[in-house]
Parts: sequence; C-alpha cells; structure tokens
Amino acid sequence: MADADLLNLVLFLPLAGIALLVAVPSGQERQMRGISFWVMVVQFVLTAWLYVQFDAHVAGLQFETRLPWIPDWGVYYQIGLDGYNILLVLLTAFLGPLVVAGAFTAVTKDVKLFYSMVFLIQFAMLGAFVAQDLFLFYLFWETMMIPMFLIIGIWGGERRLYATYKFVLYTAFGSILMLAAVIYLVYSLKTTTGVTSFAFADLYRAKLPLSAQTLLLAAFGLSFAIKVPIVPLHTWLPDAHVEAPTTGSVILAGVLLKMGTYGFMKLGFPLFPDATRAFTPLIMTLAVVSIVYGACLALVQNDIKKIIAYSSISHLGYVMLGLASLDLLGIQGAVIQMVSHGLTAAGLFLIVGMIYERCHTRDLAAYGGIARLLPVYSLFFMLLTLASIGLPTTSGFTGEFLVLLGAFTASWPQYQQGNALPLVLSVIAVSGVVLGALYMLRLAQHFLFGAVKAPHAPLADLDRREKLILAAIVVAVFALGLFPDEPMGKTELAAKQFQQLVTTPRLPGSKP
Amino acid sequence: MSWQSVFAAMLPEHILLLGIVLLLVLEIASDRPRGALAASLVIVGAATAAAAWLHFIGFSANPFPGHYSVNPQGLLAKAVVLALAVPVLLLARDDFDEGPFYPLFLSSLYGFCLLLSSDSFLTLFLGLELMSLPVYVLVLLAFGRPESPEAALKYLVLGGTATAMFLMGVSLLYGGSATLALSSFAAALGSRDIMATAAVVLIVVAFFLKAAIVPFHAWAPDAYEGASVPVTAYMATIIKAGVLLAALRLFGTSPVSGSMVDFLAILPLVSIVWGNLAAMRQQSFRRMIAYSSIAHAGYLFYAFLGDGPGRFQAVVFYLLAYGLMNVLAFASIPPGDDDATRDRLDTLRGLFHRDPYAAVMIGIAMLSLAGIPPFPGFVAKFLIFKNVIAAGYTTYAVLGLVGSYLGIYFYLRVIQMMFMSPEAAGATRVSPGRAALAASVICLIPTIAIAVFPNWILVRF
Repeated sequence: MADADLLNLVLFLPLAGIALLVAVPSGQERQMRGISFWVMVVQFVLTAWLYVQFDAHVAGLQFETRLPWIPDWGVYYQIGLDGYNILLVLLTAFLGPLVVAGAFTAVTKDVKLFYSMVFLIQFAMLGAFVAQDLFLFYLFWETMMIPMFLIIGIWGGERRLYATYKFVLYTAFGSILMLAAVIYLVYSLKTTTGVTSFAFADLYRAKLPLSAQTLLLAAFGLSFAIKVPIVPLHTWLPDAHVEAPTTGSVILAGVLLKMGTYGFMKLGFPLFPDATRAFTPLIMTLAVVSIVYGACLALVQNDIKKIIAYSSISHLGYVMLGLASLDLLGIQGAVIQMVSHGLTAAGLFLIVGMIYERCHTRDLAAYGGIARLLPVYSLFFMLLTLASIGLPTTSGFTGEFLVLLGAFTASWPQYQQGNALPLVLSVIAVSGVVLGALYMLRLAQHFLFGAVKAPHAPLADLDRREKLILAAIVVAVFALGLFPDEPMGKTELAAKQFQQLVTTPRLPGSKP
Repeated sequence: MSWQSVFAAMLPEHILLLGIVLLLVLEIASDRPRGALAASLVIVGAATAAAAWLHFIGFSANPFPGHYSVNPQGLLAKAVVLALAVPVLLLARDDFDEGPFYPLFLSSLYGFCLLLSSDSFLTLFLGLELMSLPVYVLVLLAFGRPESPEAALKYLVLGGTATAMFLMGVSLLYGGSATLALSSFAAALGSRDIMATAAVVLIVVAFFLKAAIVPFHAWAPDAYEGASVPVTAYMATIIKAGVLLAALRLFGTSPVSGSMVDFLAILPLVSIVWGNLAAMRQQSFRRMIAYSSIAHAGYLFYAFLGDGPGRFQAVVFYLLAYGLMNVLAFASIPPGDDDATRDRLDTLRGLFHRDPYAAVMIGIAMLSLAGIPPFPGFVAKFLIFKNVIAAGYTTYAVLGLVGSYLGIYFYLRVIQMMFMSPEAAGATRVSPGRAALAASVICLIPTIAIAVFPNWILVRF
C-alpha cells in the first residue's frame, strides 16, 4: 500500500469507527468501548508509522493525494503531510485512544452516540490539519463544531446548554466571516492571476493590495483568534471547559485550540504577509496580553478546571508570540509549544476528571492533602503541573524557552533601531513564566498538600487503566522535553518556509 | 409544429395529464382507498423518468414557438423537482386516504411543468395559476383543523393579490412592447423608462409575494401551520421551487444593474434577517419551517445578483438541497396523537431516546438548512454567495452571511431539544409509518450523494 493511501486510511478510519459502532446492538456498551479504543489505537499506530516515514529533508507535501472534487470551482480533494501539520496530526492521533479510554467509566449515557461524536470530531480535526485546499479546510473546520456542540451539550455539567451555545455562537460567527473572506480571496486570485483554485499553494501567490489583505486577515484572524483564543475573544473558553465532560475538555485543550494557532501559521499570516507585518505590533501585544491576563485570571480561580482553562489562554499566547516574532527559533518554539500544551493540558484535564469522577466537585477549597490520600495520583499530578510550568527536561520548557529566545532575538535589532515595543513586550512575556509557576504551584499546594480534606471518602487511588493513560502522557511530555531535536528537525523546513513567506513582500507590483 | 415534437417535448406533462384523468376515473369507478396513492406514485415516477430521459438524450424542442420550449437544462430541473414530489406523496399516505388530494396534487405539478418551459407571459401565467390554485384547496383539506379554512383563505387572498400585481405588470409591459414574450421583461430590466420600471417592480413584487419575502411574508406562517404535513412540505419545497424557477425563466441570463440591484438585494436581505430572527421564538414546527423558508427565499433571490449563467446552477442546486432537507425533516417528524401535538416543537424533546433514526435525520436536515458543512445546504449557500461576491456585491454578501449566522441558533435549538432535553412527559411512542420511513430514505440517499459528490449534479447545469 502506498503511503498516500495510508494517510487517507488514517483520515477515514474514524468514519469506519462510526460505522462499526452503529452496527453494534444497543446495550453492548463494553463492545462499543472496545471498538472505539482499538480503532483509535490502530489510527495512532498508522500515524506513528507515517511520522517515522516522513522525510525531514524534503520541503513541501508528502503522502499527497490530489483528486478533482468540484474542478469547475478549482476545488480539489487535496491532503498531505508537511512540516506544518505532521506534529499536530501525531498529537491528535496520540490523544485519540487516551480520550476514549479516559471516558470508559465517566460516560454511561448514550455511549454509542458519545463515541460516534468523538470519532466525528477526530475525523474533522485530522481533516482540517491535513487539508491542503481551502474549501476542504473550511469544510472540516466547520464540521468540528457539530460534535463539540453535542459533546458539551449532552454530557456536560449543569450549565451545559449555556456553555455549548456560547461555544457554537462564538465559533460560528468567526467562521461565517471567514467564509466571506475565503470566497473573496479566491475570487481576487481569479481576477488577478486568472487561476481559479482553492489550493493553499496557489493562494500563497495571490497579490492583493494592502487594504484587501488587512480586511481578509481580520476576517480569517477573527475566526482563528476565537479558536485560540486570544484575549478579548476568550470568554467562551472557561465556560466550555468547565461545563464540558472530561473528554470534551481534553479534546478542546488538546487539539481544538491548536486549530486557531495552526490556522494563523498555515493560512492567516502567510496568505496576507504584508498586512501581517503591518499589524505585527498589534498581534504581539494581544499575544502578550493573553499570556499575562490569562495567567492573572488563573491565579484567582477556585474552580480547578477554570485554572487550567485560563492557563491554556496564557500558554497559547506564547504560541502566538513565537509565530509573530518571525524568528526561526521562535517559530519552531511555537510549534513545540503547541504540542507541549496539547499534552500537558490534556493530561491535566484527564487527571482532574479522574478526581471529579470520585468526588463530583471541582471546587479547590473542598480538597486538601490529596498527596497523603492518593500517592500515585499525586505523583502524576505533580509531574504534569511541573510540565505545565515549564520545568527544564519537560516539553513545556522547550517550547516557552524557544519562543522567548526567538522573541528576544527578533526584538533586539529593532530596539537598536529605536523601536522598543517588541523588546518591552518580550520582557513582559517572561513574567508569564513566573505567573505560571505561581498559579500552578498554588493549585498543587492547596490540592495536594496541607490539611487532609476530601469531599468524598474513602478515595480509591488510580486503577491500572488510569495509570496507563497518564503514564503515556507523562512519557510523551518527557520525550519531547529531552529530545526536542527529532520533532524540530521534521518541522524545520516548514518553519523556514513560513518565515520566508511572511517576510517576503507580496504587494502587487513588487518583485516575487 | 410537428406532432412528434409536441408529444416528446411535453411527455412529462402528458403523463401527468393522463394520470389526472385516470385518477378521476378511478375515483368514480372504484372504492379501493389505497389505489390513488399507488397510481399517483407511478405517474409522478413516470413523469420524472420521462423528464430525466429527455435530459439525458439532450432533447430540445420548440413545439409552440414563442410560448413553450424545452431544453436539457430545464428538463433536468423539471426532473429534479418532480422527483422531490415522490417523497411528498409518500408523506400524504397517512393524512389522505383517498379523495381529491391526488388529482389536485397532480394538477399542481402539471402547472409546475408548464411554468418551467414557458416562453411567453401567457404560458407562464397559466402555469403559475395552475400550480397555485389546487394548493388553495389542498390547504383547506386538512380535515378537522379549525385553522385550515383561515389559512386557506389568507393564502387565497394574498395569492390573488400577487396574481393581480403580476397581471398589472404584464399589461404594462405589453403596453410598452406589444409582445407577450418573456424576453420583454429582460429588456425592461435594463430600460430607464418609467412604465417599464413600474412593470418590472410590479412583477418582482408579485414573485416576492408568492415566495414569501419580507414584508410580503405574513401569509406563510399561517398557511404552513394551517395545512397538513404533506401539503406544508409541498408548499415549502415544490411551490417555492416553482416560483423561483419561474423568476429564473423571467430574468434569464440578463444582468441586474443600477437601482434594481438594491431592490433585489435589500428585501431578500431583510427576509434573511427577519425570517431567522422570528423563527427563534416559534413553538410550532411548521411555523418555524415557514420562517426558515422566508429566510431561504431571501438566499434564493440573492442568487439573482450573480451573473446570468451561474444563476441557474445556483438556484437549482439550492432548491434541490433545500427541498431534500425540508422533506427529510417532515418525513421524520414522529406521528403524534393528533395534528396539533404533532406540530408542537416540545414533542421533539428527547426524541433521540425514543427514535434515534428520526432524531438523526431531523438533525441532519436542521444542520443542512443552517448551512453547516458537510451537508449539501452548505455547498448550496456557498454557491450563491460565491456568485454574489464574483458579481462584485461583497457588502451584500457579507450582510447576507451574517444574516444566515442568526439562523444557526434556532436550528440548533431543535437539535438541543432532541438530544439534550429530557423526554417530554406523556410522549407517545408511535413508530413512524412505513411510507414516511421510505420517504426519509428516498431523501437521505441523494442528500449523502450530493454532499460527497456535489460535482456530479453541478456539471449538469
């Protein structure tokens, strides 16, 4: 089997999973869980194989499939792996089985629908990452909304309806403007170059005037910024995270938020480079505001899930900062930070979900001294906390360090030329690391140490399934922290391409 | 005029006419209640097959020059909409055992076919009235419902007003150009003459009235609610398709320009916004669909802003996607104790636990109507807005898209009720009839087909 077919198989495996689930007679919940888990495992194994086969020395698409879909409009079914998406695809496939296994005991209502929706969102997320055609990308991008709406709305907490509508109405508003921008972009490409195409590669060649670029960047950027989310468009996130079931939170934090940053990296910035450069100060400012504001809000929350939700805003601010720095190290750091946050936030939400299953409360004040009650649980909790803070040897350190390094490298020459803003922003961004340590350690201190207090007794420590899930994440966190070279090698060419695309002027009239 | 070409070109019409006569004879001669449904299904199926066959052999003819002509594109549109009538007929099985429903239904379809091939205002008017008149009676046929006479009367009066305005416009046009050919409308579109403009405005307003565009929409919610399920499905899909295709026939491929653009954009835009907003507050399923159809009429008229050749493709594809979704939704609504409870949105609460298949089908229909991919409603909406932007009306396109955003909430509210709400107290578990199930499967298969391979149908227009 050719490797391109393998990528198609990986993409469509979740749909096969849904078909299998539908065939299982209702009531056979053990079987449904088993099927879902093993389909996800197969998907991960195949993706890992693709990752190993991925050649770091080849720029551009690998394992590419390109078939005409609506050729009259220039719409092709074009998918492929490149340095932009390879790590994110691997992350998505890696979290798949963990998400499914994490819900074995937590979800008992409408099991078949639940795993079908998990499969559907997995399909949509993978599709959005591997799509190389804007129409296809938009299709997958929008499809993600439906399963998330149901996951939060059916299996969520008390205020689930409020949270799920808020999520959908925020994301849909961004998408609708993006749709207008997509059409306008393709139409402008047609009028300026005579090519009707939705392929990313063709769209990178569109020469638009600065005013059009700015409007389009605003429309695309609004949609992506809502997904990231960047302050002040973040208010849906805490509600969605808190009300979502553990699975929903893990998918949201693990992969869905990266859609926004991936969108900026693959589409927003390189499609409209001149507008991006003109608005870099604004983008960097918003990124730094997200870092600091998210961290400050995390510092004062009493709901454990909210702390992690706000920490996500802060951590993804680093990704935006790295991308906007346009420094090679910063860009690569941003990619590592995306994966790292995917792992740690997913791990933290899973581990919080485990205690929630036992005690049914997320109120920080209800807990204390868990370390004495649940030693194994606490060990994992501490490891993930440290990874989230960004302790050296964990993945969080690599990402944040490279981003800050990139931001400083890029801002120093500008400072010497008299533009102090980037440097000031970079310095402020460092405070996010300190604040990160503060709020995570505050959480760990209240939760794990101090007087023993638990809302439910006796508490059982982790069982084998839970240990294995967390162990897998912790291993990945350390692997990424200790050996970042390997994944960075695979993304290096893409980072260079991104840098080159965004820094080369593309206004009409300028030389290509 | 050769008899062969009259025979072949009007084959779908002939089959329908034969069917009407046959049904009337059957009605008099026999007392088997189910015969009418089966016969109608066969007749509509045969008419569809005839239209499709003529399309595939690339048939075009001009049997009555200046009045009636067929071409492969128009024949396909005819086949598509006639095919939609098949599931609508299946829906009628539970509501109409016998009686005048089937001949009236076929007469209305006959009018629809005539309309689609008309070249002069004479045939267009004939088709339009032949299509609408039986529906006034069909609305009234929802036996035992106090609302239906009121609904039918409202529909009749407003339909009559539309007819009057249409005739007024046509007579003005005729006065100016001394011809009844439809092309005089296209000429008047570009003209600055006050009489021609008045004629165009009158005719367009008549179409707005028939298609329920704000502010001429008030009849639609009452008529939709008052009628029975199959008739509502018929009005929402095929009548709407007929009106839009007739408008398409009028506008042809002539571009819209000047102040006509604003006239053709603003009222549909208001329709999109108002339809979507008003639908949020509805408690009745059919009223909600009525407001949704007001918004969809807005999108459809948006297509007229686009350039000529793309217009036909956009409108027909939209009508197909929209029609399939509406019939799918109506076919999946669970049967209730009586029509009033069946119509209440509250009875959908917890439907997923009673009847997962129906809940998923309604869910698909709602998402597609909301224009959320990967369902066909998305490609349809995309096509319309693509043409509008390509024609240079970016502002109207953005406003229309934002208007469509307003609609997402009420479509999702239906999904919320089915999947996220606890079951309604005292909800009866009546399993859907076999005919309704068949209708939903008939709609589902092409829905999936055009979602996965939209190109298959798009290249044919």
